[in-house]
Amino acid sequence: MTGVALDNLSLGYEGRPVLRGLSGVFPPGRLTGLAGPNGSGKSTLLKGLSGVLHPLGGRIDRGGLKARDIAYLPQDAGLDRQFPITVEELVGLGAWARQGLFGKVGTADRARRDETLETLGLTHVADRPVSELSGGQLQRALFARVLLQDARLVLLDEPFSALDERTATDLSRMVRGWADQGRTVILVLHDLDMARELCDEVLLLAGEAISWGPTSQALTTEALGRARRWAQACEDPAHHHAESRL
Amino acid sequence: MRAAAAGALALALGGAPLGVLLVARRMSLVGDALSHGLLPGAAIAYLVAGPDPWALTAGALVAALIVAGLSSLLARTKRLPEDGAFAVVYLGALALGVAILGPYRDPEVVETLLFGSVRGLDAPGLILAAAAATATLVSIALFVRGFVGESADPTFMRVSGLEGAHLHLLLMMLTALNLVAGFRAFGALMTVALMMVPAAAARFWVRTYLGQAAVAAAVSAVASAAGLLAAHHFGTEPGAAMALAAVALFCVSAGVGREHSLLQSVIGRAHLKSRAPS
Repeated sequence: MTGVALDNLSLGYEGRPVLRGLSGVFPPGRLTGLAGPNGSGKSTLLKGLSGVLHPLGGRIDRGGLKARDIAYLPQDAGLDRQFPITVEELVGLGAWARQGLFGKVGTADRARRDETLETLGLTHVADRPVSELSGGQLQRALFARVLLQDARLVLLDEPFSALDERTATDLSRMVRGWADQGRTVILVLHDLDMARELCDEVLLLAGEAISWGPTSQALTTEALGRARRWAQACEDPAHHHAESRL
Repeated sequence: MRAAAAGALALALGGAPLGVLLVARRMSLVGDALSHGLLPGAAIAYLVAGPDPWALTAGALVAALIVAGLSSLLARTKRLPEDGAFAVVYLGALALGVAILGPYRDPEVVETLLFGSVRGLDAPGLILAAAAATATLVSIALFVRGFVGESADPTFMRVSGLEGAHLHLLLMMLTALNLVAGFRAFGALMTVALMMVPAAAARFWVRTYLGQAAVAAAVSAVASAAGLLAAHHFGTEPGAAMALAAVALFCVSAGVGREHSLLQSVIGRAHLKSRAPS
């Protein structure tokens, strides 16, 4: 496994770049945190890595990974919560993603799905429609789906933001485990303390890479200062909010 | 009468699972767009071949598939929301039909196209209705997870490399096929009513997709039977009578259904009140 390599990557919308000149490697078996102020391109990078967004320039080498090897949990999950789909069906999509359109889901897959629902404490809501879940339950259901996808590249956009502390701790342990199993795990984190605690590596973004490397080397006072100055230079009020968190 | 009942039952079985998907995806108006979109095809076929059932059906089918295909392609460019894309394409098709037909306008033909006639359920009509129902039920059986997944979470389908876009196109094609199967007998617009209204009613009874599809098929079948009987006894247009019966069943469902109905919220409120500290 070679991980995911970026070569002078630019990403953005409608031809306007949000991120420029990104080069580096996300190694397998490592947990990389994406940090940076609002608007710095963290979610945009995940969209690019997942394939939802095509590069404006440069390239992404996924080391031969196919779409079914990628699990992506977006922040505003594309999920239509009003659609009549049960928790069980939603989570079951994960097993199915591995097998393709004609894949047969057998007894073993169903057993694994039920086990996953149990691990995440969702057994009692398995047959409820997703519209009845709380924010935290929904996030756990989406985690269960990622778990069933058994993907080699896992992309998570602020996965712990809607959760109470205990659930966040449980799930972050699970994410840590995925990396330890040799998967490439990349997640957006707003909380720098959590990034220090959880991640092997950090990529600090502010429209470009400010620093990228082992967590303690990436999150230096100097690097954080540069990210903060970038945020101050953007006059949008949303960025002032971001400053206070960096 | 017996042919009409058989045709209506086939349309109920084919239309219900599609209607539930479209209503849940907030795409009910796509049915209307397709039903308008098929009219110019049928009109052109009428000009070329006269009231030949096969020609009318083929013309309508081609037009509906073109409208469905072009709209889906336009929507995929992400420059327009799906309903906007449908509006552009079907209004274009309709205008084209009016422009072509202009000099030859015959009110009786227009009326037959819009409101249908039970004589439309001849052999070709019944065969097409049966084919549409079969194609729909087989597709749903094969791809139910795909249809549900694509509707609930299209981003997930795309990232996972599942063929969501193809399933979406298949859904549009099946909708077009079912509408074409119904339009000669019950009229283009009333066929849409029999697809969408039972699906909306089903939401008040069960919460799962397959459950809603089954309830919608039952509502549609009952509405069709009631409408055909009313048409037989009172001489009303069968398509309209069936659609009205479906709307009546919708009202009953919204009033006393098991899920989120008026009755449920009244009970819920009374329950809260009785538990409130006095």
